[in-house]
Amino acid sequence: MSAEFHLRPSGAMRHARDRLILGLCVIAGLVAVLPLAAVLFFLVVEGAKAWTPAFLVTPPGPLTLPGGGAAHAILGTLEMTGLALLISVPVGTAVALYVVEYRAGKLALVVRTAVDLMAGIPSIVIGLFIYALLVLTMGHFSGLAGAVALSLIMLPIIARTSEEMFKIVPRRLREATMALAMPRWRAIASVYVPTVAAGLMTGIVLAVSRAVGETAPLLFTSLGSNFIQPDITQPMSALPLYMFQNALNIGFPAARQRAWAAALTLVVIVLLFNIVGRWLATRASLPAARN
Amino acid sequence: MTALQTDVRVHIATRGEETAAAPGQARHVDGTASGGAAMEVRHLSAWYGAKLAVSDVTFQARQRAITAIIGPSGSGKSTVLRALNRMLEVVPTARITGDVTFHGMDIYARGVDPASVRRSIGMVFQQPNPFPTMSIYDNVAAAPRFNGIVKGRAATDELVEQALRRAALWDEVKDVLGRSGASLSGGQQQRLCIARALAVNPDVILMDEPCSALDPIATLQIEELARELSERYAIVIVTHNMQQAARASDHTIFMSMNEERAGYVVEIGPTSEMFTNPRNKLTEDYITGRFG
Repeated sequence: MSAEFHLRPSGAMRHARDRLILGLCVIAGLVAVLPLAAVLFFLVVEGAKAWTPAFLVTPPGPLTLPGGGAAHAILGTLEMTGLALLISVPVGTAVALYVVEYRAGKLALVVRTAVDLMAGIPSIVIGLFIYALLVLTMGHFSGLAGAVALSLIMLPIIARTSEEMFKIVPRRLREATMALAMPRWRAIASVYVPTVAAGLMTGIVLAVSRAVGETAPLLFTSLGSNFIQPDITQPMSALPLYMFQNALNIGFPAARQRAWAAALTLVVIVLLFNIVGRWLATRASLPAARN
Repeated sequence: MTALQTDVRVHIATRGEETAAAPGQARHVDGTASGGAAMEVRHLSAWYGAKLAVSDVTFQARQRAITAIIGPSGSGKSTVLRALNRMLEVVPTARITGDVTFHGMDIYARGVDPASVRRSIGMVFQQPNPFPTMSIYDNVAAAPRFNGIVKGRAATDELVEQALRRAALWDEVKDVLGRSGASLSGGQQQRLCIARALAVNPDVILMDEPCSALDPIATLQIEELARELSERYAIVIVTHNMQQAARASDHTIFMSMNEERAGYVVEIGPTSEMFTNPRNKLTEDYITGRFG
């Protein structure tokens, strides 16, 4: 009887092949992680040299000389990204709700396809479009035009992630809201959105991370500026534009350092936005304190 | 506005006032005596796409009584249940023929708002489905607030307490009302869902295998609760579990199906009779466990 069962040690060849594949996977993983680590390393080492509190609050000086800060670019980035968020979050969420919740047939399909195509448009083309639409009609470059261009880049990302999120609202929750005769918009606002808040926020964070680093759509919309300019109807600088400006003067060590410092600032802003976004999403998905 | 919508409103208004008075009095505006039909189903057939799922079902659900629908999987029990509060039409391909009336009013009449039907005919599902991002309190309070049934903090507090008491959950949760509904045990979650359904002041409560996800102790609690609730409400319960139907119902509808025939009613009768003296051979085989 016992002869029917054999507990053999696994073969040496099989063992070796296993290890080989495992080794290759580890190497591939390292190759993928290495560039990221290198970028972060250089960013911190190089950026830290010029990254002082003064850099964050001073307006720019002459490009070729040391000193001068990125206050105007930080302000521009925050203002334009903020306005772009205010435009793209409601519109993107509404598009997703229209497609998923109101299932309006063919028109919904058209809207959805249009949003998908929009995601594929190169950002410089969006810049050109806004140039024709806003800059030419207003007669001058402005932060407003830059913000609208950024919002068009964010919109498809937000619409698409929100759509996926609303799709995964469990059917049993939908049925519960219907069986309780909740008005649909109430169900959306107080059940569906909180349920998938974390996912919606991921979409927003992704969109912001993408838009905040865009240079091309700003080149001929917000143009750039060398002054601290809070007025969004005027030309405005942004961190990517400021980096571009400084990096063009790479022969001057001060300009080079400012480009690195601006890059570090950009990454820190994205990081902070990530943290705040996640915190907000966690809060939204917890039951509100009753008292 | 159709007659039904108006009537349903009157219903709700009448009962809102009654909340403060002795419970159970003057509940039914039509003044029907205990045991009259709360719902009547006549010649109901249902399709999913081209597939017939239920054919020619006729029965009544009486007031202040529990009606159980039993039968093997695929016999159309849940389909029939969902036709009673227009939750079936949520399935895109579903359609029905026949009549379903609520206190004599056709719930499928033209112009009838499905929401007004569902306010009067509540539903509890197979899987407990409290809103996970809401507190226990808000799970109960949300729908009545959104439907304009209550306004103001004091009235809402009172409504929430009343609903939770009727669902036999108040004593267990009164100190943790701010906690997430998802933090409760399965049986407690199901009772929370019952409380939530009661809070919109329904007249009929439909239960779709409410205990299939629960342990035996929680199951008994829900059965006892259904029994208590049947003093005020008409209850229709779909169950897989024959013991449950035998223990916890007044009337039983036995449905079945086979290759040639979509879900149909084999036998209807008082539960005690059907389980002790079934008229149909098929019923006897089913309740004795020979098939199903």
